[in-house]
Amino acid sequence: MADTRTIEIEVLRYNPERDTEPHFQTFQVPFSDDTSVLQGLQYIKDHLDGSLTFRWSCRMAICGSCGKMVNGVPELSCHKFLRDYYPGKVRIEPLSHFPVLRDLVIDQTDVFDRKLPAVKPYVIPETPKPLAAGTYVQTPQQFHKYYQYSQCINCLLCYAACPQYGLKPDFIGPAALALMHRYNADSRDRGWEERAEVLNAEEGVWGCTLVGYCSEVCPKHVDPAHAINQNKVNSTMDYFGVRKLLMPKGGD
Amino acid sequence: MAQIRTYVRPMNGWWRRNPYFVRYMIREGSSVFLAIYSVILLVGLLRLSQGQAAWEAWRAALTSPWSILFHWLALLTVSYHAYTWWKVSPKTAPDLRVGGRPVPEVLIAAGGWLATIGASVLIYVIVRWM
Amino acid sequence: MQTVQADVVVVGGGGAGLRAAIAVAESDPRIRVALVSKVVPMRSHTVAAEGGAAGAIREDDGLDLHFDDTVGGGDWLCDQDVVEYFVAHCTEEMTQLEHWGCPWSRKDDGHVNVRFFGGMKVQRTWFAADKTGFHMLHTLFQASLKYPSIKRYDEFFCADLVVEDGRVHGVVAIEIASGEFVSFECKAVIVCTGGAGRAFGQNTNAGIVTGDGMGMAYQHGVPLRDMEFVQYHPTALPGSGVLITEGCRGEGGILTNKDGYRYLQDYGLGPPDPSPRPKAMELGPRDRLSQAFWHEEQKGRTASTPLGSAVWLDLRHLGAAKIHERLPLITEVAKTFVGVDPVVAPIPVRPAVHYTMGGILCNARTETPLKGLYAAGECSSVGIHGANRLGSNSLAEIVVFGKVAGEQAAQYVKAAPASRTDAARKQAEAAQTRLLGLLGRDKGERFATVRDEMHQAMETGVGIYRKAASMQAACAKLAALRDRYRRGLKLDDRNRAFNTEWLSAIELGFTLEIAEVIAHSAFNRRESRGAHTWLDEFTERDDENYLKHTLAYRTGDGPPRLEYAPVTITKSPPKARVYGGEGKYVELT
Repeated sequence: MADTRTIEIEVLRYNPERDTEPHFQTFQVPFSDDTSVLQGLQYIKDHLDGSLTFRWSCRMAICGSCGKMVNGVPELSCHKFLRDYYPGKVRIEPLSHFPVLRDLVIDQTDVFDRKLPAVKPYVIPETPKPLAAGTYVQTPQQFHKYYQYSQCINCLLCYAACPQYGLKPDFIGPAALALMHRYNADSRDRGWEERAEVLNAEEGVWGCTLVGYCSEVCPKHVDPAHAINQNKVNSTMDYFGVRKLLMPKGGD
Repeated sequence: MAQIRTYVRPMNGWWRRNPYFVRYMIREGSSVFLAIYSVILLVGLLRLSQGQAAWEAWRAALTSPWSILFHWLALLTVSYHAYTWWKVSPKTAPDLRVGGRPVPEVLIAAGGWLATIGASVLIYVIVRWM
Repeated sequence: MQTVQADVVVVGGGGAGLRAAIAVAESDPRIRVALVSKVVPMRSHTVAAEGGAAGAIREDDGLDLHFDDTVGGGDWLCDQDVVEYFVAHCTEEMTQLEHWGCPWSRKDDGHVNVRFFGGMKVQRTWFAADKTGFHMLHTLFQASLKYPSIKRYDEFFCADLVVEDGRVHGVVAIEIASGEFVSFECKAVIVCTGGAGRAFGQNTNAGIVTGDGMGMAYQHGVPLRDMEFVQYHPTALPGSGVLITEGCRGEGGILTNKDGYRYLQDYGLGPPDPSPRPKAMELGPRDRLSQAFWHEEQKGRTASTPLGSAVWLDLRHLGAAKIHERLPLITEVAKTFVGVDPVVAPIPVRPAVHYTMGGILCNARTETPLKGLYAAGECSSVGIHGANRLGSNSLAEIVVFGKVAGEQAAQYVKAAPASRTDAARKQAEAAQTRLLGLLGRDKGERFATVRDEMHQAMETGVGIYRKAASMQAACAKLAALRDRYRRGLKLDDRNRAFNTEWLSAIELGFTLEIAEVIAHSAFNRRESRGAHTWLDEFTERDDENYLKHTLAYRTGDGPPRLEYAPVTITKSPPKARVYGGEGKYVELT
């Protein structure tokens, strides 16, 4: 068992009932080789200050709850380890570009209540297929056209990475646009027209200036920058009325 | 439902906080040099249409020390611009797969560079030959 | 207090909750559905399920085979009429998910692929790489956005049911962001709050799996059934308890002890070859595999790692291509948490608590004894898992019975009389007063102290192998912990807005009661069946005395009152539960 060392963790604190502004607070946290940043926060909450508030759930980088800014970089705190920051200190803040609700907790309603539903993220088939007809046939080739974009865990690190979202909160944003592409690219879907208005809008793909940091920080390698920017081509073709001509939808 | 007093963090100085953003701003800034250079070339075209004297005057202006300095800076920044342009070009391309595997982005970017270098060599040869 | 009017309230936004809400919406879009979840739905623990969901589709498969595997897997404690319904509806639900966009892994010809899972005779586990729960949950969540009649209340913590005249009238919830109480007034409540694995220290579960719904139903007189049956998943990472899917073994992975020996052959699951072979060796059921680990550990044949003793899950012979295509999540997880690349090295694994077979008593229509209250998913005991659940039956369960619950609730609210809003309001006020009381204590213990002692008691007393003395000790310890909890925890956090320490304290109240139910139910089942195994006495299954369900009823501050109920046997009289043995080598797809 690795011996225990101590690391300094600085966290942003904000209490909407008392504070007008956030401030930092520092804690000394013992850790071993396998202690994650999240576990460091849990240690503080369990033993030092039970009022430190943060979201977490699965501890295995699949639920998307635990996103934080760690030394200025958007990370999932459950799969970053204190040993990699030691002996420097670890500064933990809520994800950038979102309003702070409490301590490390952000107000995420803009993405979940507005942006995600706006892209109509569900299969819109040509005609509804009865269950008795069985499953669609989808070849590996068709599958790979969209599968990567279906890996998004909605962790919001890409929004924290996107300065356009920070500067213009109306921007639909990386994850939502990637999810839109995921459905547009799925051979079972024929919903392009229904999603076109949102995609083609200023707040849609055209709000992106290809900073590209979203794809850098995405823990699931969804590559939202690719999803958005390849759709600038589609959007342009749509504008000139030649999209369907040049990109017929194959599939079942 | 209930209204909470959330805190919105200001965006000023956002690009200074992360080296990735600094590089992005330099990339975007390089297009200023590209734009100025394009204007200089356009002015050159205009002078060409205005006759021998105007053209010679424009050529002479290009040899001034400030002009030389600008053109060296422009060469540097526009090259950087081209490098970053090709680097992100795979993001604008559709998903490319060969033999069931995604084509590595570095190959797509390399393709762009090959085209750039090829075109540059071709233009140089033509100009020299003329 | 704010009130919300709805017809059906679904508590919990995981696979079962979302499926139930969709079923209500599809049955009649005029029915108002409130989907109330303490986390945003994509964070629900369904997201972490990895291996797959069962549904018979192969030519050489059939409903009777799925039925037999499930009933045998459950060591004949399953209600067979419910199992018959269940197996008959799995495939159609998997197809429904596919229509909604679920990216099931395919064969080269574009048809859905199925793989082997523990305890199954034929391949019937539909899978989406090794992130099946993730893909199912996101598909369901995204599909739910199509239905305007489903109104979501994300990050609202349901803390109590409102019950009057033997009927449910609503739920009392806390809006987490503000700490304000909201009374949801409705005619039907569908509880889909998941299991209670967090009663134990070492578990594969997320922090949110604290048994809230089970606790709420239990506190209102609904019995919890078969709680002694807690599943230890045989392959979790040492230390964190992070899950390494059974799908690894479904793809041909093997388990070896520190000497590189495939030890499962010593525990009635052999012979080791030909390999792989259904229902044998690494494809045996979870309870048997976890028990085998325990024995190996006692014999000193497990490997010693910095995070605890473990055995090795070896995937190297699968090859990099297959591992990266079929098992990408566990590859990432193994590298991140234990620094192992499964392509070149075996993964250290050990059992950890994973699933609660027991839960809120309900019938095949998901109706609980409390009128208007329905239960679906892991929080329920609908009767299909018996004493041990087969892998991939749970992801199938949530959609099969989520749909049933939604349809039943929709029918019920059409005929049910209006709910008693005056009574509801009074009860909601009372709940608010009680729960706010937790916030104001000046002295008491830290939440973490009581929680850690509960974990310790459960791990020692109600583990893989159980002894009379240790179970009794656990019962006593839990009674003492409940007492200490009642006397009060002192919270550092006195805020109303987003007070997760307060919510953890409320959750602990539920988990402690459930832990006590588990310990008492276990102590009183004097036989070994499925996941409930005694160490030194009552080591055999006793159908004469114990072919029955345990029902635990709350008695206030004291221990639960236990009753027993018969098991419904239809087609399959109890037989010996046999795995391993001779068999043909199977080509894995």
